[in-house]
Amino acid sequence: MLEVKLGRESLPRVESRVRPSSVLKSFVTFVVTVVLLVLAFYFLIPVVWILVASTKTQAELSSTGIFSFPAHIVLWENLKLLFTYSGGVYVRWFVNSIIYAGSVAICTCVICSMAGYALAKHKFRGRNITFFVILASMMIPGTVTAIPLFVVEQPLHLVDTYLGVIFPLIASPFGVYFLRIYIRDVVPNEMIEASKVDGASEGRTFWMIVLPIIRPALSTLFLISFIGTWNNFFLPLVLLHNQSLYPLPVGIESLLSLINTAAANQSLPLYQLVITGSLISIIPMIVGFIVFRKHIVTGLTQGSIKL
Amino acid sequence: MDSTLGKRLSPWAFMLPFLLLFVAFLIVPMVYAFYTSLFIHRMGNSYFVGFQNYANAFQDTAFWGSVLNVIKYAIIQGVIMLALSLALALLLDTRYAKFKAFFRLVYFLPYAVPGVFASIMWGFLYSKPLDPLLQMLHFDPLASGAFLYSIVNIATWEWAGYNMTLYAASLTGVSNELYEAARMDGCNEWQLAWYIKIPLLRPTIVMTIVLSFIGSMQLFNEPFLLEALTPVSQTFAPNLDIYNMAFSLTNLPYAATLSVLLGAITIAISVVVMMVTRLFNRAAERRQATALVAGV
Repeated sequence: MLEVKLGRESLPRVESRVRPSSVLKSFVTFVVTVVLLVLAFYFLIPVVWILVASTKTQAELSSTGIFSFPAHIVLWENLKLLFTYSGGVYVRWFVNSIIYAGSVAICTCVICSMAGYALAKHKFRGRNITFFVILASMMIPGTVTAIPLFVVEQPLHLVDTYLGVIFPLIASPFGVYFLRIYIRDVVPNEMIEASKVDGASEGRTFWMIVLPIIRPALSTLFLISFIGTWNNFFLPLVLLHNQSLYPLPVGIESLLSLINTAAANQSLPLYQLVITGSLISIIPMIVGFIVFRKHIVTGLTQGSIKL
Repeated sequence: MDSTLGKRLSPWAFMLPFLLLFVAFLIVPMVYAFYTSLFIHRMGNSYFVGFQNYANAFQDTAFWGSVLNVIKYAIIQGVIMLALSLALALLLDTRYAKFKAFFRLVYFLPYAVPGVFASIMWGFLYSKPLDPLLQMLHFDPLASGAFLYSIVNIATWEWAGYNMTLYAASLTGVSNELYEAARMDGCNEWQLAWYIKIPLLRPTIVMTIVLSFIGSMQLFNEPFLLEALTPVSQTFAPNLDIYNMAFSLTNLPYAATLSVLLGAITIAISVVVMMVTRLFNRAAERRQATALVAGV
């Protein structure tokens, strides 16, 4: 029904000289809309499934249809199970995820904007080679350095600490690259020189002139680095063994890995914990994503187009 | 004197915090990984063995099997996903698409879902006891024959919208006049996409091929998560093999050796892909230029 209406709406808007016959055009519009809807359904399936699944008991997961709600919705009971499991360790994981993602995002913005400013607006010996090394390091797959990082962090007593996860993620070559380009293109040299003529120090110029101008780029970098850290799994998996330091993905994985083991046969409601836990972990990301989508898209496209 | 010294030092002062972390947590681990790979552990002692670990790695059929498998995966997944992304971007760029903003948002949404949770959701949808539809169809996506394609589906679901967004952003930069002019000349939407939009997107396509390849070579989360639901071969992907080597078998020097090799292979293949696609592009541009001159 919906598609038929769409087709009619598009009828009056036939434009330009080479107009296909209007019947043909509304037929094509109809077909295209159906294709787009089918694909939208594909991208929504898992999210819809987990919403439905979080309202079921363990037995109902296999006894009822995957997309049909149960007779008695037990979402509230599942949430209670989740938040009271093992002394509320899920809340701890949630807070940990905020700590990791928040501190990495803030520190990345501060440190990368300083480095980006130096590389964009100062001429000094070693500048080009430094920038080249930073660019080249973007080619190195992140997982390749994870195991070596574990080996290096052991003698520094950083394994199994918050800082051990935070430090490696702050040093973002992408952040420096992104802000260097942005500062070079957007901050006028005259403003920096004028500020220096007025007797402002380098630090003051950076703080009072450069930072306010690059605020849009900083909010983009903040979001990208927040999402990247929130989603990161391999690095915390390798570096953390104490479960009270886990971020959400590692925590939920530790529950999932019990499903086919002896613990599953005991009275642990693992399926509900994993399903409800995943749902609650995804919701803030989806909401944030919808709200801040414009900033995220700018960052992804600006950062990658010139790669 | 003082002020010139200060001038010379100040850029480095700005660089210092980044460089410290960059060197300590990226450069040093890489160098140290290489250093570690020159030793073996025996009975709690380390012995320097030169390139012996690399010699062993070259004969390690399990490792090379995993590398070949992940290359196969990278090609299949890359082709399917990028074709879908391109089709979505082009479809949403035609005059026939309605509710563009809504569809763009829905397709891009999985980017916000952490890979771990994408794997969990699809993993449950793949498991027979939870999915009556699969029981009816007698189809098991977690069986060994279908497993690779089940992972292809998860990764495609996660990243198709991201790549579509990159293509869409490159297309919005194009002025509408170009399209109008082409339409005046009698171009239909197919010809518009094939002769104008795809050639314009070529640099972005090359970039997404390389990015997708680097990502695929690092495959870990999806098979690692699905291990909870089905037995997964440790040699399905090199990173599974390396993780297993480091933490189940606690052979860190050999895990470091394989990490170094995997990094080198990934970078080498990325560079080759970039060079080949550049050559291909140049040939295509020349063909187009001659076609234009010939008045086709």
